[in-house]
Amino acid sequence: MSLLRYTLRRFAQAIPVLIGIVTITFFLANQIPGDPVEIMLGPTPAQEQVEAIRAQYGLDRPIHVRYFTYLSGVATGDLGLSIYYDRPVLEMIMLRLPVTLLLMLSAFAFAIVTAIPLGVISAKRRNEPADHISRIVSLIGVSTPSFWIGLVLIIVFAFYLGWFPARGLVLPWADPADVRGAATRIEVLRQTAHHLFLPMIGLGTLQMAQITRIERSSMVDSLQGEYVKLARAYGVPESTIVRKHAFQVAQLPVITIIGLGLSTALGGAVLTETVFEIQGMGRLIITAINNQDYQLIMGTTLVFGFVYVIGVIVTDITYSYLDPRVTYGDE
Amino acid sequence: MSINSATSDDDTADGGDESGGPDEVEARVGLRYTLKQVRQDTTARIGTYIVGFMTFVAVFAAFDYYILDYAIAEAVLYNPETDPENVRRLLPPVGMENQFGQGVLEHPLGTDHRGRDLLSRTIYGTRIAMTVGFLATAIGLGGGTVIGAVSGYYGGWIDDVLQRVTETIYAIPFLVLVIAFMTAFGRDLTFAMVGVGITAIPVFNRLIRSRVVSIREEDYVEAARAAGVKDRNIIFRHIIPNSFAPVLVQATLQVGVSILIVAGLSFLGFGAQPPTPSWGQMLSASRGYMLPAPTFSIFPGIAILITVIGFNILGDGLQDALDPRINN
Repeated sequence: MSLLRYTLRRFAQAIPVLIGIVTITFFLANQIPGDPVEIMLGPTPAQEQVEAIRAQYGLDRPIHVRYFTYLSGVATGDLGLSIYYDRPVLEMIMLRLPVTLLLMLSAFAFAIVTAIPLGVISAKRRNEPADHISRIVSLIGVSTPSFWIGLVLIIVFAFYLGWFPARGLVLPWADPADVRGAATRIEVLRQTAHHLFLPMIGLGTLQMAQITRIERSSMVDSLQGEYVKLARAYGVPESTIVRKHAFQVAQLPVITIIGLGLSTALGGAVLTETVFEIQGMGRLIITAINNQDYQLIMGTTLVFGFVYVIGVIVTDITYSYLDPRVTYGDE
Repeated sequence: MSINSATSDDDTADGGDESGGPDEVEARVGLRYTLKQVRQDTTARIGTYIVGFMTFVAVFAAFDYYILDYAIAEAVLYNPETDPENVRRLLPPVGMENQFGQGVLEHPLGTDHRGRDLLSRTIYGTRIAMTVGFLATAIGLGGGTVIGAVSGYYGGWIDDVLQRVTETIYAIPFLVLVIAFMTAFGRDLTFAMVGVGITAIPVFNRLIRSRVVSIREEDYVEAARAAGVKDRNIIFRHIIPNSFAPVLVQATLQVGVSILIVAGLSFLGFGAQPPTPSWGQMLSASRGYMLPAPTFSIFPGIAILITVIGFNILGDGLQDALDPRINN
């Protein structure tokens, strides 16, 4: 089976999960105490006004009708109207999602770039000082709350050293005219990098630690493989063995752990955005909850789910693309 | 066709220890065997010490809170409400100085934004963290074990339905799921615990299910079935006890994960509500004073770090100690 067909099939398989996410989100949102209309109109609204609003948002219909209306809405890209922002939910999400994705991508880039060398060195020098340091660093990394790392980074690098800004984010696609102190696109990008640095480390540390641990154990296994022994017997230099023979095989579990790490990272993004006051999806869902904006709560929750599912599919496809043993047929 | 299909193979591989026949398996399960292995493994021992110490602190705080009605805490803890004239806010730890004054021995770690003692609040935070960590894990373990065992043992449509449901739960990033869950049902600590427990169900479900599927075909299970032992008894008397080691490892790690998630939730304002001291909520309050009183943000974080490291070291140590491949 071709890679394209495998890709399409993976997406088709994800449909029931996506419907499941919509269902869970819908019924959770329906449990939320309080009346959204009351929040909109204040505590003592006129009866006709309440009924008009209820009819406008479809709140007067029975729950199963609303569920199917919502489901078909989601299928056509209509996530309803945000009561708080008075704009379509999808529009708000499209505004905020790129910010969160930028944060996530940079965090994973940081994690992968630092973790892979750390893990490889650790495995190569097993039980030597370098290995111990790398293991301690990754142990601390998996045990530290990301938001606390953020706070410590702000205290040290923003307040004491003054190297990086403590909050906010300049979007790379922002108009240079709107960005203070930036006349050209390059300067905007420089400011983006400057702002992104601390949140990237705050969010990426956990992923870095997890990837290092897997990279190490996977490389240790891989370096004991028959093909490595064979290469050694043929007199292939050790550096070539590590780079060419052991490394490639060892990357498969790493890809898996990156896929699974997406879930933690998406949750971590909510915290990191709070710490650094970045207006992404995480802040959007918290604003939605604090203002009991039902449609926005549902919309943001299910977009978080969708992003994760798509991320997992992408890692699965990468996995099968890289692993010579995986055929695209039945599992 | 799981959305995590890339990982399921690894899990089964991890779960399948290579011990031989039934005799050997019997010798490698159970509490006594675990304790013996833990004693011999340095990492597991260090983890046990940290976890033991934190548990002791938590029990001490609970004892003071429930039985002595804050008697011990009152002695060390300066309560600003009783003496509003003499509130010392945001003091640094003893031996340090900041714009609010000099650290005093009375408050070894300093005070918070309302003049409360940080050491006692950090100690009391342990009670919340440990309780939530253990109970959330217990909920996840209980739910996951039942679902995983039933699913793996019966297979067929029961398996399909249960696995699709847990997969869907797993498909929503867990912090977001717990936030949505708590928005729907309640913002306090009980729901934080239940919410985090629910997110842990898929983890244990997959672990138990993969074990059950591999053990189901073992000779001694076949024998039990042939002898007319009921399905329920086979699951709970044979299959689950034989999954003890990997479950124990996962549960230990899960306590750490749960503590991290609950700290994050409290940081966002979900979970323990003021004035109950919890680490996440202390960190959240400290955000406004990071420049003048940075130490306020440091200690609750260190408490989380040490506790979670304890569970992670213990989990890793247990894994090595109970892995027959290493011990052989």
